[in-house]
Amino acid sequence: MTDIKTPGNGISRRQLIRKGALFTGAGLAAGLTGFPYINRMAVRAQDAPLKFWQFYAPGGQVASQVDWFTQMISAWNDSHKQKVQLEYVPNAEYINGPKLATSFASNEGPDIFLISPGDFLRYYNGGVLQDLTAHIDAATKADFPETVIANRMVDGKIYGIPMEVEPMAMYYSVKAFEEAGLNENDVPKTWDELLEVAKKLTTPNRYGVLFETTPGYYQNFTWYPFLWQGGGEFQSNDGKSAFDSPATVQALKFWQDAVKSGAAPRQVLGNGANDTIANLAAGYCAIQNVGIWGISQLAGNAKDFKYGVFRLPTPANGKYMTVGGGWAFVANAKGKSPDAAAEFCAWALASMDKGSVQRVADWCTKAKSDMPPRNSALKAGGAAFTQGNIGTFARDIYPGTRAEPRVPPEVYKIISDAIQQTQLGGADPRHTATAASRQLDAFLASYSGAPIL
Amino acid sequence: MRPEQKKPDQGKKAARRRLSAKHREWLSGYLFVLPDAIGLLIFLGLPMVLSLVLAVFEVNGFGGYRYVGMANFVRMAKDPLFWSAVRVTAVYAVLLVPLLYVCGLGLALLVQKTNRFNAIMRAMFFAPHMVSLVVVAVVWQFMVVDKIGVINKLTPLLGIAGISFLGDPQFALVTVVFVSLWFLMGFYMLIFLGGLQDIPKEYYEAATIDGAGPFHCFWHVTLPLLKPTSFFVLMVSMVAAVAGAQAFDIIYVMTKGGPANSTSVLIVYIYQQAFSFGAFGYAAAMSSVLVIVLMLVTAIFFAMTKGGRFTYD
Repeated sequence: MTDIKTPGNGISRRQLIRKGALFTGAGLAAGLTGFPYINRMAVRAQDAPLKFWQFYAPGGQVASQVDWFTQMISAWNDSHKQKVQLEYVPNAEYINGPKLATSFASNEGPDIFLISPGDFLRYYNGGVLQDLTAHIDAATKADFPETVIANRMVDGKIYGIPMEVEPMAMYYSVKAFEEAGLNENDVPKTWDELLEVAKKLTTPNRYGVLFETTPGYYQNFTWYPFLWQGGGEFQSNDGKSAFDSPATVQALKFWQDAVKSGAAPRQVLGNGANDTIANLAAGYCAIQNVGIWGISQLAGNAKDFKYGVFRLPTPANGKYMTVGGGWAFVANAKGKSPDAAAEFCAWALASMDKGSVQRVADWCTKAKSDMPPRNSALKAGGAAFTQGNIGTFARDIYPGTRAEPRVPPEVYKIISDAIQQTQLGGADPRHTATAASRQLDAFLASYSGAPIL
Repeated sequence: MRPEQKKPDQGKKAARRRLSAKHREWLSGYLFVLPDAIGLLIFLGLPMVLSLVLAVFEVNGFGGYRYVGMANFVRMAKDPLFWSAVRVTAVYAVLLVPLLYVCGLGLALLVQKTNRFNAIMRAMFFAPHMVSLVVVAVVWQFMVVDKIGVINKLTPLLGIAGISFLGDPQFALVTVVFVSLWFLMGFYMLIFLGGLQDIPKEYYEAATIDGAGPFHCFWHVTLPLLKPTSFFVLMVSMVAAVAGAQAFDIIYVMTKGGPANSTSVLIVYIYQQAFSFGAFGYAAAMSSVLVIVLMLVTAIFFAMTKGGRFTYD
């Protein structure tokens, strides 16, 4: 049998198969053995820059935030031998996504990264958070209010440096208020008043008030102040569940009533209830439960939108309280150079050096709208924290701030399910609170990680 | 092979020429599928085996491994959310698979004749399948959003209003089934079109001469001769409904498994356990069970239908 020639190129089918097989085999052999190892060696070379993963996209929603990151990295790289390199990870892959998780599982986690209190215990209990204490002097440590730094500390050691404090509040559309014949004097102070006002603001195309509806860490975060305002907790001092309480029931019922009355939606738009542009500015709702970052969102993307902010209403006989979230810089204890990464974190946000203080102040005033996690940065920010809506936050809203709790994922899920079942599933709040409390007790009895705060 | 072309003194070449035509064809066939087979083994087979191994460990995702034996499987049996996810997955599959079959076949019958109009219709029906699943989910999410979504603007015309398609546990699963159906039915239409074109025209001519109408032709000619295609469609759509990309992507983007876990299918729950909670061992145990159950169901279905082969009575 003669080989059948492929017209034009002169290679027989048999030769083609043989060469193809050789090429495939060589590629596989190289892939399985050589190349990944060589690549890893290159990445781990001692002079390679430290990888800093964050989710502020180049050309992203607020340009000033990206600029802040790039300027910080330039300043560090200009003055240090060990370089740092920014790597952008899309938000959807970063928060609750697979990117961070798989990188650590494959021992390729970033050297420096951002985490929220909701993720702190998972990473601390996993042993990947580097102790930063040695790089932070006593004066700087004292510059962080205890309530801000506590949920990043274990046994007196600091494992994360907060870059911001983000208290939750209510934002309202001035136009929607005017259309409903309301003004700033009608701003509600209690839950009942909020529901009444929300009903007046509800139209066929608009909801009166908007709370988060998507299950996730953020929904839990936004619900906590309503639990606390009635004196509720999810854990008592003896380490057992405290979730089965009248305060829990009334907080669950409040969100349920808002949806049942038709004044609050079952769905939110855009990136969720933290997105003021897609919900409040677009006219989907008249009042939105959102954090201080909404100010920079609206300033950057809806300049002409007129709005006001007011502090979270309280239940009858309740005490005003809000929750303050915020991201923190952390270093990977299993990274290429944990000490250098820790030094960077401290240099960036936790030094008494003027540049460090100003950096924190700039993040909270120029790049984003936040309350600073340091007393010195609050002073450095000066007038910025006394004017406009940030001034309202500083005066009226921030004083009642309690730090976002750090909870293990199992606790988050139990609370999340309780919120979802009552808010959207129509379940009885009392039964739900009792059942969730039993689940919490079962988990807490066997939990052995760092304290839940 | 012609005898005059033989050169018995040429070592290896001579040995190769001793292979019969059948064996040469056999060898060529396997060589051609070898690259794919190696890929499947490395990227599917190996992870499946590793997943089974991982299932007997507690894995925290940070390099911590602790042998726990069957503990992950015991946890699974006691986990109400796992059973809730199994139930939701079953409902999703039971709703989606028959709908895909009927709609895919229906569309194929509608556009099977070759003309310009049908060519346009085929392209239109298949078009959704060309779009990224995430884009599909985002677009539909916006179309069915409460109050202002275009679908919610139209429903009052049908005498129904105020439905929250994705925010109400009563409707959320049905909504994602509908979107999955919209996305997939064009693909199955194409497969059925292939099957329909393989049926010889003479059968229809003979049936028509015998007095059979369109319904009889469909029932006694089309459906029986579509058995292999039907088998393929049912198997693939069942696997897609239980573990396919659209079962995950559409649901994860549209609802994140909510509201109140009403759309939390098993594949979403597994993802959540692995990547949100860092319970990789538990997720691996659930994945292993899912794969084994899928293989068992496939084997039973295969045995019952003889792989969709024709039966000659």
